[in-house]
Amino acid sequence: MSNTSQAVACPECISRISTLRLAVGGFGLLVGIVAVLGLLTGGHETFNTSSQLTWGLPVSTYVFFVLTSTGLTFVASLAMVFGMKDFYPIAKRCVWGAVVTLVIGFISLGLEIGNPLRMLWVIPTNMAVSSPMWWMGLFYTTYLALLVWKFLTINKGDWDSPQSTAIGIASFVAVVFAHATLGSVFGMMAMRPFWYGPMVPVYFLITAFLSGLAFIMLFINLDYGVNQENMSPGAARAMSRQLPLIFAIVLGLVIVFTLAKTITGLWSNVPENRIVTQHIVASPLFWFELLPGMLLPFVLMLTKMRHDAKVQVVSGGLVIVALFIGRYEYVVGGQLIPVFKGAWFDDLTPYSPSMTEIGVVVLAISVGILLYAFGDKKLNLSDAPNQ
Amino acid sequence: MAKWGMVIDLAKCTGCQACSTACQMENNRLPGENYQDVLYYAERKQPAPTLKWFPRPCMHCEEPSCMHVCPTKATFKTEDGVVLIDWNKCIGCKYCMIACPYGVRFYTDEKPLIEPNIKDVFKGSGDLSWNPPYKGPQQDNAHGVGIQPHGVVSKCTFCYHKVSKAPKGTADLSNDNAALREYVPACVRTCAPTARYFGDLDNPNSQVNRLISERRGVRLLEHTGNKPQVYYLGGAGAVPGFNRPDNKS
Repeated sequence: MSNTSQAVACPECISRISTLRLAVGGFGLLVGIVAVLGLLTGGHETFNTSSQLTWGLPVSTYVFFVLTSTGLTFVASLAMVFGMKDFYPIAKRCVWGAVVTLVIGFISLGLEIGNPLRMLWVIPTNMAVSSPMWWMGLFYTTYLALLVWKFLTINKGDWDSPQSTAIGIASFVAVVFAHATLGSVFGMMAMRPFWYGPMVPVYFLITAFLSGLAFIMLFINLDYGVNQENMSPGAARAMSRQLPLIFAIVLGLVIVFTLAKTITGLWSNVPENRIVTQHIVASPLFWFELLPGMLLPFVLMLTKMRHDAKVQVVSGGLVIVALFIGRYEYVVGGQLIPVFKGAWFDDLTPYSPSMTEIGVVVLAISVGILLYAFGDKKLNLSDAPNQ
Repeated sequence: MAKWGMVIDLAKCTGCQACSTACQMENNRLPGENYQDVLYYAERKQPAPTLKWFPRPCMHCEEPSCMHVCPTKATFKTEDGVVLIDWNKCIGCKYCMIACPYGVRFYTDEKPLIEPNIKDVFKGSGDLSWNPPYKGPQQDNAHGVGIQPHGVVSKCTFCYHKVSKAPKGTADLSNDNAALREYVPACVRTCAPTARYFGDLDNPNSQVNRLISERRGVRLLEHTGNKPQVYYLGGAGAVPGFNRPDNKS
């Protein structure tokens, strides 16, 4: 199984969609650069964040994309770590997608923090092991290195040599630790009751998996012209049979988690939790997240329509939007009541992202789209081992 | 080595904001980024709501959560118990601002609270985010003292440029002792009703220790485990509790 060749039924579909992606990514990049010019001239004063609400849209975007990367690695690991061979035809795409989404997250975070370049020497030289963020940096950097190594290995046609398998297992382990430490960055903050709790890493784990699955449902179907007949037989089998079921199960769990979190929040006697949850529930964003964003795709996945590529694209897209809203609500929600002042301060901290913050996100996503299109054009992402 | 701490007597505090003003002058602070502030709030017991106030510096905690979460050890605790930031190590991730239960940390590059932006009027260059015509303490980036650079977090230093020069073995730094007046933090020195006391919490004979013990000094948000080195006097009614009153208008 070390030499690879997997026929793609419709190479021109991939070529068409990746050319379209290059155009969209290029345009987005230009828009992003124009919006981010403000950052170069006005610095972070062009952000709408403040000392009361410190982490805004760029941080929630970072959380969303690095957890999506986690989810994509989980799906790739189904084949490469857990031996579920049906997933091999989409594994290489998942690994490249994981690299790309991680890069998007890092760009978004890098443009948000004050001195990103200083990180390169002060983090490794100071060994701040008491900080969850230090561990998060360590594991995500290790994960990125292993992911790139794994991609290079399978790109050379080595899918299952002992070394290739070991790298796959190591990257899976690294990302489990990485997502858990990211969960701890929020979950260990006892002074912010909306975030605090031992279940945060578990919540991140399950939503990360869903995020990865949703990206696959959307992007892999788009890659093949929203028609599974254009896929290789193995990829079509994985996309039409196993994946929708796994997607439905994980989506069902996330819906339960979201409802439980919301209901306990609304009935909590911790004001920081109850007031913020009431605020979130009063927003149309929440209802979009819950109803068309998660419940509708879940119902669709319970019917036979789940095998249909178009339904998968719509469901994947809706879930991606829902999860993005969820990350934003979570990150911003933990800061809506200013610390300490919140003991008697009546109003929630106002926040809506500035054009520069939106530009940072557009820029990061556009770079991701370009990287993904580059992968499609140059790296033969449809490759899979002969079985 | 001393363990510097502060006692604030809420029964004497008039909410005059002289402490905030002195701190602004001493440390070149701008509106919205006051190291030391007096918070005003109304206790809404209808039909007669009462206006109250509460002075709030950095608590210089014994177990500072801001220090523990810092991924670069930029936030550190000195041997004499003061929590400071090394601006040469700060990457501006703002995790410390997230983790501080008291909301007393400030990021350099934020939208100005009032226009025109004073930083645009006195533009900085090089390592200085702005360049006011009068600069108080000598620049000391390694201890977070002076004009902050771009992209870093800053906070109250207990006027470290003053207190660190106090003679060893000093029990209390107060205006009463003319020889020590230069070492007294600006907010303590300027407090007209003498509501603030500053001294060595490890010295059993210090006035701060005596006040804490005789008048049952309390610390804020004890449940977070941060163990502030700032104590408040004035009875339970004067110190705001943990629970937020459910009176959202």
